[in-house]
Amino acid sequence: MSDILLEIENLDLAYDTPRGTLKALDGVGMSIRAGETVAVVGESGSGKSTVALSVMGLLGSEATLSGSIRYQGRELVGMPAEARRLLRGRAIGMVFQDPFTSLNPSLTIGEQVSEPLVFHHGMDKRAALERSIAALGEVGLPDPAALVTVYPHQLSGGMQQRVLIATAIVCDPKVLILDEPTTALDVTVEAQILDLLDRLRRDRGLGMMFITHNLGVVNRIADTVCVLYAGRLIERGAKNAVLGAPAHPYTKGLLASLPKLSDAGRTRRIAPIPGRFPDLTEPPEGCVFADRCPFVEARCREPQALAAIDDGRLVRCWKSDDLPGWPEAAAVARRPGRSRSGTLLRTDRLTKVFRRGKIGGGIEWKRKFGVFPWPETRTEAVNAVDGISLEVGRGEVVGLVGESGSGKSTFGRTVLRLTNPTSGGITLDGDEIADKPEQELGSLRKRAQIVFQNPDSSLNSRRRVGDAIARAVSLHTNVPAHRRREHCEDLLDRVGLPRGYYDRYPHQLSGGEKQRVGIARAIATEPEFIVCDEPVSALDVSVQATVLNLLDDLRDELGLSYLFISHDLSVVAYIADRIAVMYSGRICEVGPTEAVLQPPYHPYTEALLSAVPLPTPGEEFGERVKLRGDRPPSASERTGCPFHTRCPRSLGALCETTPPPVIEPAPGHRIACHLDIGELNSLPPLQIPRTRKAS
Amino acid sequence: MTLYFLKRLIGIVLILFVMSLLVFGITQIMPGNVATILAGQFADASTVAAIEQRLGLNDPAYLQYWRWFSGVVVGDFGQSLVMERPVLPLILEAFASSAILAGLAFVLVTVFGITLGVVAAVRENRFSDHAVSVFSYIGISVPEFFWGIVAILVFARYLGWLPSGGAGNLNDGVLAWVSHLVLPVITLTFTLIAHVSRLTRSSMIDTLRSQYVRNARAKGLPEGHVIRRHALRNALLPTITVLAIDVGWLMGNIVVVEAVFSYPGIGRLLLFAIERHDLPLIQAGILLIAAVYCFANLIADILYGYFNPKIRYGHAAS
Repeated sequence: MSDILLEIENLDLAYDTPRGTLKALDGVGMSIRAGETVAVVGESGSGKSTVALSVMGLLGSEATLSGSIRYQGRELVGMPAEARRLLRGRAIGMVFQDPFTSLNPSLTIGEQVSEPLVFHHGMDKRAALERSIAALGEVGLPDPAALVTVYPHQLSGGMQQRVLIATAIVCDPKVLILDEPTTALDVTVEAQILDLLDRLRRDRGLGMMFITHNLGVVNRIADTVCVLYAGRLIERGAKNAVLGAPAHPYTKGLLASLPKLSDAGRTRRIAPIPGRFPDLTEPPEGCVFADRCPFVEARCREPQALAAIDDGRLVRCWKSDDLPGWPEAAAVARRPGRSRSGTLLRTDRLTKVFRRGKIGGGIEWKRKFGVFPWPETRTEAVNAVDGISLEVGRGEVVGLVGESGSGKSTFGRTVLRLTNPTSGGITLDGDEIADKPEQELGSLRKRAQIVFQNPDSSLNSRRRVGDAIARAVSLHTNVPAHRRREHCEDLLDRVGLPRGYYDRYPHQLSGGEKQRVGIARAIATEPEFIVCDEPVSALDVSVQATVLNLLDDLRDELGLSYLFISHDLSVVAYIADRIAVMYSGRICEVGPTEAVLQPPYHPYTEALLSAVPLPTPGEEFGERVKLRGDRPPSASERTGCPFHTRCPRSLGALCETTPPPVIEPAPGHRIACHLDIGELNSLPPLQIPRTRKAS
Repeated sequence: MTLYFLKRLIGIVLILFVMSLLVFGITQIMPGNVATILAGQFADASTVAAIEQRLGLNDPAYLQYWRWFSGVVVGDFGQSLVMERPVLPLILEAFASSAILAGLAFVLVTVFGITLGVVAAVRENRFSDHAVSVFSYIGISVPEFFWGIVAILVFARYLGWLPSGGAGNLNDGVLAWVSHLVLPVITLTFTLIAHVSRLTRSSMIDTLRSQYVRNARAKGLPEGHVIRRHALRNALLPTITVLAIDVGWLMGNIVVVEAVFSYPGIGRLLLFAIERHDLPLIQAGILLIAAVYCFANLIADILYGYFNPKIRYGHAAS
């Protein structure tokens, strides 16, 4: 097997921590051939990034590595540091997760792309710059020659990630390691980057190690999949086999806990993986997944070996041969299309305008305090929310999807008067609240609540969990003081946390538990309406499922209405009755979930849908829509339809100058587009394979 | 950038104006006045009254302020009441000697503070890091004048290597001139080096842990290049700001150090003026110090912009 570029065998990694030795990796093995993409999949703490850093030789000195990593037959473990360095960038390139922080803010793009050439190939700076321009062109950046004098902050996230990829391939390495390269990007940009990576792999015969938590991305790009859990390789095999018929219980659970876009997936309740991640300073002797596994038996407490099954797959589970599918969450089917009774919240042409400094706008002299001359930059208006009219019915969940910068979070905050609207109306239960002074908003604060995206930063780290909830109870309900603790414990109970968590501090909780506290705090005021602002985006897949189910249950039990904001269409499609699609401050389509997910739909909805990486092999969108560019229109381009700068189906001048009319293909389903209904109808739908293999 | 510069210039003018009002106000409520000092210990009331009359001290405060202010605007800082000489040359001469002292101290603080901080950060948790930490804590926790007195005792009294005070004259040779500067400069720098190195260390450690430094290492660049080209530039941003604030600290401490070493600079001149209620001298001296401080901060901000392209180019649409 001479075409194996990178081979990892029995890789062990231990860290010394104050609480004892932490076994971050235990017996991990894989091989990467030229032209092959190996996906390394796992949730946070699985050790997937650690594998990459081990290969790169970028682990800190406190880590002890043993086992074998061979690059074209050369052993890397124990190789002197200087020899390792010479391989980095030249033989093995790496791209990290977050493009926004991975480029040095104070150096030009040209320098950052070209410097590996200077050090590895001894090229002079001008020749290196020439090669860099070629590499920037190869990764699909427009006008690469002009780009080399630019600084990172002047580029969009997608462009920054392309620059990082160019940097990683500029010295022609044979292996490329990608650590969650698309996680920080919008879904349409993600699709572009995945296409680019696939093309580079083919053109250059690269061996790629692709690290991700996203099974949909795996399905789109990988040949081979390695599933890691708690530092152990638990399943390895061809992509279609692993995703189509997972053998290890954890892989089954991971796939079952994903919300699916297909009708069948949406109406069935997702099945989360119960329990918590094991403590790796005291790893269990037997199967690391045993504590969370629904099929656990006595023999699982013995050490498990990786064993080959029929199709050549390796699985670390002794009974993988005869396992049933993941239990479908006690087979509770979701009730689709719950009826709504009356309107709870209504916004009427709600607008929020921010002002920001205009680039190259020059200086304007004003008077400060009416006396001193004072220079200011000219500002321009940014319509973050641009005339949105939306209704949320009583007991209804309205999903709001859009990419970063589309204004969806601003809308959510403006609805709650956490920021004040520039113009337009908001009525809650018939009560106009858009321009009420803050002192009169008491009842709004009680009746409408919010759950934030990041549970780490939305809980005060110095206050006990119980105090955070009790504060909301004492402010907005008339539960007497002596009963307050009991009441808060009931709330903890309700969100599925032990009552004893009242006395815990946020840092003692896991991410999912913190988000449950956030939800308990929100329902403490006995609200009718909750804005959920990306409530599961920061959570791992298996935890995301439990939180989604919790929100779904609370909605039924307490009769709540949600405005559910997310960038993830699958999540929104799972929980929402109606979906509103937002682009650049405007709603381009709104309607019942099943109507929005199939034609006729807005070209932007089509692009979003076709970009969502689906985790089931064979389940594919008819035709991948390629959007032009990767950023929303600038202020001067916001004429006509805001999507015209990127729309692949733009009609030209009409779309650029005239705001699109609203067409209503079915009652309650509205699309703002110049295309006529026939054309919208003929847009390709999502392809669902007819025969679903039992998993 | 230009906008920022303009705003700051306007701000500096306002600050200096407010400073002059404050200083004037304080000298008005200080007990005693310059007339009793000029007239001498045994003068009778009528002599004092005559001097007050001559100097215009009986005029209403706003009139006195206006007289002084209108002069300053056209560059006339008035006469020292006690020394009966124009204020400006007096101040400038004293300031020049202080500037030598402070300038040398500042250069040493910058060079050694940053170097020690970077070394400590790169060798985090090893011996050299701990050594720098111990040095810093001692430097920060003990006040200047204590080191001044210790230095005089050891190097001037006990070892007799260096003069204990005064300023050298260049006509006596460079060595003599320098020898007078050594002790005051070292005394001035000790605390500040500690201050700057602590800050540089922590900022450098943060930078070395950043994503872009990790990315630079993943490119296979030599560690020395990663530290100098990728880390240092960004790590120095907070240091620049603190160095400018330290100029203010330096100005305050120079008064103490000049007193301890009897060095004829602006600090000693100010002390002299304050003891004798010599208003024009006090005003000019303090305004000068305030101006130095303001401009040091302005220069720091410009440097900050130079090192940080986000400020230099403004935020692009993203």
